[in-house]
Amino acid sequence: MESLKVYILIQNRMYGDGIRSGLGLAVENHYAYPVIMNGEFPSMSQYMAENISWITDMEGAVLCCGGDAPDNLPEGVDIQSLSLEELGEQMREADFIIPYGLPKQTNEPPPACAE
Amino acid sequence: MSADPNKLGILVTSPQNMRHILGVAKAAVRAGKSVKVFFTYKSIHLTKCTEFFELSQMCAVDDLAICADSYTCEGYDAVKDIPRGLTDKQMRTQAFHGAILDECGKYIVM
Amino acid sequence: MSDINSILQVYRSEPSDDVKKLVNILNRDRQADEFQLYVDTPNYDLLVQKVFAADKTVCWW
Repeated sequence: MESLKVYILIQNRMYGDGIRSGLGLAVENHYAYPVIMNGEFPSMSQYMAENISWITDMEGAVLCCGGDAPDNLPEGVDIQSLSLEELGEQMREADFIIPYGLPKQTNEPPPACAE
Repeated sequence: MSADPNKLGILVTSPQNMRHILGVAKAAVRAGKSVKVFFTYKSIHLTKCTEFFELSQMCAVDDLAICADSYTCEGYDAVKDIPRGLTDKQMRTQAFHGAILDECGKYIVM
Repeated sequence: MSDINSILQVYRSEPSDDVKKLVNILNRDRQADEFQLYVDTPNYDLLVQKVFAADKTVCWW
């Protein structure tokens, strides 16, 4: 089966699950590129860190665009930063582009769900 | 196996597009196409909409599934509370999404 | 997607400036079409027709 290049765009703080979805494709021998946009980074649990490392090990990459990656990432977790223009150019080579979940929210999360 | 040019794959990741999913699926069938649909993460809440049962009746058993892990993560019981219109064989993993990419000549995200 | 000639952009909600910039890059040198899903009564038959006519479809948020 042909290996496909798949970009998964994550623009909403509730949809870090797109990284798990990317890993699901990576284990099916596709190249997965989850992209965290506008600084909407998920909480870096051990589970999340392992998923990001696995995607990298399987020749994909977790990227970020529009916000720098946190500087306290766990060892083995690499998130590459790129500009919107660079992302667009890279995605011209994609087989699939998946804008994941919901768009970015207008309001900051209230204390009830901020963590 | 090459992708079927007459098969539309639909990945559902948003919890708010049930009318579009059903509308597109019906239109595809009217046009003589088939659909293969996978619901993942928070979109699995759509299985509780009445329209979901209607969708389930349009799809072959092998062409409709939800992510069982997502269903459990969202608090539902993946053993005792299988969504109406599905069987336990349609409670699947992310590999089903991989099958959509492989099998479907056309692909959309909802 | 490098070898595609035609691309369909589907908008589930009104596109943001970021989405518009990405779409401009993806559409460059390609036959581009679009479809708005965020209207009261989308014509799903037309959407299906466009999806099957295009080499690739991107469905934005």
